[in-house]
Amino acid sequence: MAQSRREFLKKTAALSAASYIGMNLPYAKAGVAPGAEEQTWHRGSCRLCGTGCRVELGVKNGKAVALRGVKDARTNFGYLCMKGMLFWKCMGHPDRLTKPLFREKKTDKFKEISWDQALDIAAEKFADAVKQNGSNSVGYYGSGQCLTEETYLFQKVFRGGLQTNNVEGNPRLCMASAVGGYLTSFGADEPIGGYADIEQANCFFIIGSNTAEAHPVLFRRIMRRKLDNKDVKVINADPRVSQTSRIADLHLQFDPGTDLTLLNAMAHVIIEEKLYDEKFLSDYTAFKSGKNETVDLEAYRKFLADYTPEKAAAICRGNMTADKIRQTARWFATSKATLSLWTMGINQRKQGVWANNLIHNLHILTGQLLKPGADSLSLTGQPNACGGVREGGGLCHILPGHRPVEKENLRNQVEEAWGMPKGRIPAEPGYHTMAMFTAVNEGKIKALWVNCTSPMQSLPNVELYAKGMKREDVFIVCTDIFPTLTTQVVNLILPAAFHFEKTGVYGCTERRSQLTVKAVDAPKGAMPEVWIVREWARLLAIKLQDPLIAKCVESYDGLEPDYALPKAIWDEYSQKLTKGRDNDLRGATYEVMKQMADGVQWPAPTEEYALTGGTVKKFVRGMDPMADSHAKDDKPYQFYGPAHPDGKLWIWLREQAAPEEVPDAEYPFYLSTGRIVDHWHTSSMTGRIPELLRANPYAFVEINPKDAAKLGIIPGDMVEVESRRGKNMLPAKVYEGPTQGMVFVYWHDQHPDRLINKVTKDAFDPGSKEPEFKICSCRIKRISGPQALTPFIYNG
Amino acid sequence: MGWNWTRAKVKRRDFLQITVGLSTGLFLLPAPVRAGKFFASPVARNRLRPPGAVPEEIFAGKCIRCGRCVEVCPYKSIVPLDIGNGVYAGTPLVYAETVPCYLCMKCVAVCPTGTLRKISQQETRMGLAVLNRQLCHNWQDQILCRTCYDVCPFKNQAISLEELRPVVHEEACTGCGICTHACPLTAENGDKAINIEPLYAGARVQW
Repeated sequence: MAQSRREFLKKTAALSAASYIGMNLPYAKAGVAPGAEEQTWHRGSCRLCGTGCRVELGVKNGKAVALRGVKDARTNFGYLCMKGMLFWKCMGHPDRLTKPLFREKKTDKFKEISWDQALDIAAEKFADAVKQNGSNSVGYYGSGQCLTEETYLFQKVFRGGLQTNNVEGNPRLCMASAVGGYLTSFGADEPIGGYADIEQANCFFIIGSNTAEAHPVLFRRIMRRKLDNKDVKVINADPRVSQTSRIADLHLQFDPGTDLTLLNAMAHVIIEEKLYDEKFLSDYTAFKSGKNETVDLEAYRKFLADYTPEKAAAICRGNMTADKIRQTARWFATSKATLSLWTMGINQRKQGVWANNLIHNLHILTGQLLKPGADSLSLTGQPNACGGVREGGGLCHILPGHRPVEKENLRNQVEEAWGMPKGRIPAEPGYHTMAMFTAVNEGKIKALWVNCTSPMQSLPNVELYAKGMKREDVFIVCTDIFPTLTTQVVNLILPAAFHFEKTGVYGCTERRSQLTVKAVDAPKGAMPEVWIVREWARLLAIKLQDPLIAKCVESYDGLEPDYALPKAIWDEYSQKLTKGRDNDLRGATYEVMKQMADGVQWPAPTEEYALTGGTVKKFVRGMDPMADSHAKDDKPYQFYGPAHPDGKLWIWLREQAAPEEVPDAEYPFYLSTGRIVDHWHTSSMTGRIPELLRANPYAFVEINPKDAAKLGIIPGDMVEVESRRGKNMLPAKVYEGPTQGMVFVYWHDQHPDRLINKVTKDAFDPGSKEPEFKICSCRIKRISGPQALTPFIYNG
Repeated sequence: MGWNWTRAKVKRRDFLQITVGLSTGLFLLPAPVRAGKFFASPVARNRLRPPGAVPEEIFAGKCIRCGRCVEVCPYKSIVPLDIGNGVYAGTPLVYAETVPCYLCMKCVAVCPTGTLRKISQQETRMGLAVLNRQLCHNWQDQILCRTCYDVCPFKNQAISLEELRPVVHEEACTGCGICTHACPLTAENGDKAINIEPLYAGARVQW
């Protein structure tokens, strides 16, 4: 405690000088109790990608202050990525929307209005559209980021109330092809296994996925598995050398769009070298050349005869050789357990469903399925694309509980559950996403509700569809937390509550449903979507004088919107609509999910079973209660999927098919787009977090050094990327990433010069209707040397 | 656009005012600060000379404060030091955490005195990135951040990932500061988890 006279004088002088000018010098608060600054931690799942990491939000004095992972979490083992760790900063952000904003004409300025006025306007406009132009002139465009309760309630009011199946969502842009693939190959949507297979796999086949950037937490698990077991092989197939390729034992680089040939050539090797599992094939498999055309192994062999590794290598180009294809096929077939992982490189394609089928083919052929570590696993990009949209009825052709719209008996089940007369839900599927925005362009849709997504940035060939959205005769409502490029073209903006500011369920990639309970209050004025829909539906019922619209929300009367209302919606959905379906969630009640920190994997028909964590592997007797209850014989695997009446897995004979647009003399480059680790989707959230924005302030174009040398482009130069649809100007990054003849651009940037979806092509898969974001042709040219760019986040 | 040296005409009266003001100001400071402030080099952690700079020992003597490097820098990374920097006033400095050097190498081409030597990107040694493992999210084993690795212009050479943790390699790091700028972590004293230490600026000149 001793101090010298000199020290004492110094400190005293400094302190009194400071107090004269009215400031405090910083010193440690020793000897003072911590007092009221108590911090509490609230459990939930991450708001961003589809991994479904378990997180805990730190709350102090009613405000979010931190986020952390929890070591015993089954999805992430406590690890988080940067954007996951920082997303809580969106909550108290000054840009948050807190007042409903309205304008009669899209060229006017927004005026602040009250919630009563806002809901009245929304109801009036939708009612007018229905009265004047019929039910099909209204639509809902939702998101894989809405809670399941929100998607479910929206589609209930649209289908049951307004009698239209125009219910779509952005998962159409990201995983519709995976849905198509699972349904056609396995007869049931969503993966058989899950992340638990990563720790048991001996061979990883990662194709069309940059796991390291898009799912960093899962990438860590894959890397850990490989580091701990030196014999584990990682094969990465991608036209671009990505961060994921770094851990690969074998990287297959090929021209974009030739991967169907690669996959068929692998099947060719497996058949020729007799690496297939004969017993598995005879017990569980059918070969299909069309939906009703069954063939046999011999026909499949003949079909593959043309796909010799030599021919395939010549078609695929890149670094491909026949030996590499053989090696890949051998590793795939002979490893103890092979796990395939893919995302948008396979799904966002004109042949997305076919590409999915061909991956499943390899697994069925070799029996690399259903056993520990072996699976064909499509990773999702959004936190609730599986749970909310695929399962909750968020696409135009499916009703809740994986029910196709066109099946009358299934429609009737839903109508009965809702207490509606038979025939209330239209028999025709509604507009799929691209058709919906085409209909907007054509003026067929008069009122559109956009919820929690930004089509003005995320649609391919976006300029074309912007024209429709800017039409004065199309009334658009948007619910969101921040201004986005889409709020530029809407008439009414409704401020919504954010994650952890409301209660609800997210369902991630591996059929896992996790509950996030409200932990902080939304900024004053922002409301949960479930409340918005309920109040809007009531007004709509009055304006259209239709008591059945009111019936959609009748049972939720008087419930407070933070917990009781979503709980009532979840109970209705899980108890009435998933009963007996393959995504049976009856056991996953709010009470159970509150107890189960990691949520529940469906099928989980009873609470008792859900309390064990649910089903890790579907279709396996003893592991999946539905495999037992739906068993047809005494074999260990039972495929009860609703789409395959024969109860078998189908191997499809699918030819190589070219992308819609391939390079030519005028547009000699392939263009592909993707995601960077620090940003998520349209960066309306991550772009507002300074730490993430400075890490990647703007998008750039990646060019192969050989191409760059030919065109005289050096790193940092400004480069124009132009297609038949539009152009961008971006700084160049020259490195051995994309294969020669291909450029790659990130799609998070909102700046009009760097909005790459102006350039991408809006061709779509005829089956899944998912657009081909990943491949189109373009030309590039150097515009200037380096320029200082400023990041751009649209802010109203 | 900085200080226009050629046109600046200082009247006798202004000159005297500035001189008197300066000397009075200096007089008011304690003696050690007075001397230190006037002759202390501004080069420190994350305060770097542009690419190709001669050792700090002779920098102030060789640089003629022409401002061309400042003018040519497309990213406005290079800032001329103001009058508060004593004998170093007018010399160029890069504040790594504010705007780092993007290694476009335009400044070295325009320097008329050879204070910035004409070198290539790879030869640049503005300093060395030093990772503070006590601060870095990855090394603390909580968060999977690879920002420094991602932004590094010499990815896999200057910074590589070992078990997802960044490691800096002295033989390839140019000290451009892009990693420092991008680092999401800022400590209370303003440091980042990865900082540029101007190790090479202290080299002794052999005459």
